[in-house]
Amino acid sequence: MSAGGSGAAAEAVPQNKIIAFGVAGGLIGIYAAYFLVDMVGQYMSFIGALGAICGMIWGAAAVRRVASYGLGTGVPSIGMLALGMGVIATTFGLAVGGIAGPIIALISAAIIGLLIGSLANKVLNMGIPIMEISMTEIATAGTITIIGLTIAMTGTFDFPIVLKQVISTGYIAVIFIAGGLAILHPFNANLGPDEKQDRTLIVALEKGALAMVVAGIVATINEGASGSLTILIGLALWYIGFSGYYERVKRDAYVVLGTGQLPTKEELE
Amino acid sequence: MEPLTGMGVLALMGAAATIAGASEDLESDVGSQSNPNSQVQLAPQMMYPHRIYSKAISGEPPSNALMCAIGGTTASVLITAGASAVLALVIGAIVAAAIHGTYSVTAYFGRSASQKRFKQPVYLDLIASHTPVIMGYSFITTFCILVVSYLMVAVLAHPFSLPLLAFIWGITVGAIGSSTGDVHYGAEREFQNVEYGAGLNAANSGNIVRKAESGLRNGIDNSWFCAKFGGPVTGLAFGMTVFLSGWITALFDPTKGDAIGWVSVITGVIIVLILILWNRNIEVAARAAFGTYKEDEVEAEVAA
Repeated sequence: MSAGGSGAAAEAVPQNKIIAFGVAGGLIGIYAAYFLVDMVGQYMSFIGALGAICGMIWGAAAVRRVASYGLGTGVPSIGMLALGMGVIATTFGLAVGGIAGPIIALISAAIIGLLIGSLANKVLNMGIPIMEISMTEIATAGTITIIGLTIAMTGTFDFPIVLKQVISTGYIAVIFIAGGLAILHPFNANLGPDEKQDRTLIVALEKGALAMVVAGIVATINEGASGSLTILIGLALWYIGFSGYYERVKRDAYVVLGTGQLPTKEELE
Repeated sequence: MEPLTGMGVLALMGAAATIAGASEDLESDVGSQSNPNSQVQLAPQMMYPHRIYSKAISGEPPSNALMCAIGGTTASVLITAGASAVLALVIGAIVAAAIHGTYSVTAYFGRSASQKRFKQPVYLDLIASHTPVIMGYSFITTFCILVVSYLMVAVLAHPFSLPLLAFIWGITVGAIGSSTGDVHYGAEREFQNVEYGAGLNAANSGNIVRKAESGLRNGIDNSWFCAKFGGPVTGLAFGMTVFLSGWITALFDPTKGDAIGWVSVITGVIIVLILILWNRNIEVAARAAFGTYKEDEVEAEVAA
């Protein structure tokens, strides 16, 4: 059963623009946070989470696009795959890259994604026309998400600090799952024939804001980053996201009722 | 550590895990998450609009991993900051339950709104009545998983950190809830209008029971039904998993030498073998008692 239909999804905003938004927003967020924490102060670490949110919105858009080819129960798997590829690329990129770490991570994520996408189409014969490009997008978006949230937690992407404060403390687990669900949940939540792009993507903003709040909670115990501003901005973004989503639900739903009976037989015909 | 202390801690972990398993299954049933959700999702498309909460966050393992990882992270931060462990675990579970609540609401809104052409309404009173129940269950699940993880870190000196253990146990409890408890809801409760044990005929797809003993059926009615068998049996399954997997190394401590370590491995294999044989016997006994599936009368006539 493919409740998501089985063909290309209708897009109000073309995917190319979302890719540009995700890559540019993500990298600007990551590097701005990195430099501003040094220059202005640790409370600028929240910008990293804003970059991560750009990545999550892009990731959700890419999941929506590829999952529209009838990937009903595969939606959660593809989100987990995104962050799985992202974790490998991030640790590799940050470990070898130094200041260019995030860019190397992004490039390696794109290569891993392309490889997995071609395997899915060529070896597993999934036959989804946009599989290769979507896997590349998803892996890269997952990487931006991980690096952005890492900076929001620690204030830097310097690998020894990341290793000490994020990976060996186990907070990487919450980055993995909160980032992964922010990417997979929007389309999964809105799955159905009358799904709309803007309604799906605003859920990514809302869930990304929640991941930002969690990153802020972790930042409170790290010296390099500041938690309170991250939590406050995260809650504000969550409110914007949630109320925007509710507006779109009211716009798109058949009817929003306080309570009531089921539609009658005449109504259904 | 004294073997007796180890056993005591293990018993506590097993008890917490049993509660976590039961509440996890009931939490997923209130919102028809996971496998039974496909029928809830399909129903409006087959002209059966309903008043059942559709909590399609993701599969149960990722969504439980999320709430347990958030709970574990918050608790670990608070413990690092100097808070007492009990307070930290409670606050962690509260934060996790709150975030889980937002996920439930976006899922119900989105899935219902995307069924516009099939005229599935969005009922706000369902959100108001079901979401607190879901959050309550998710609080219990997260708290119990955090207790299990915290005992492993603090008492059993497990090398993994609290957030990571909570994440792993979250996936595990979700996976066990999904495989054990869902059958009771998806195959039985949703299809009480067909003969018991009939299986799901393709013609019945989406024709889930939408009317209750009085009024229209909702997710809370479903969790009431599942609390009788599906929830407790999930709890037992998860409790046994946690208890037995720890019991073999508590009894035969591998730190005391390689030979004892191998004995614990062999004990584990024996337990798995016993469970396989036991399950096989249950299946054979059930088939002997109830026979093969009866052929539908109409189908039988056509065949004749």
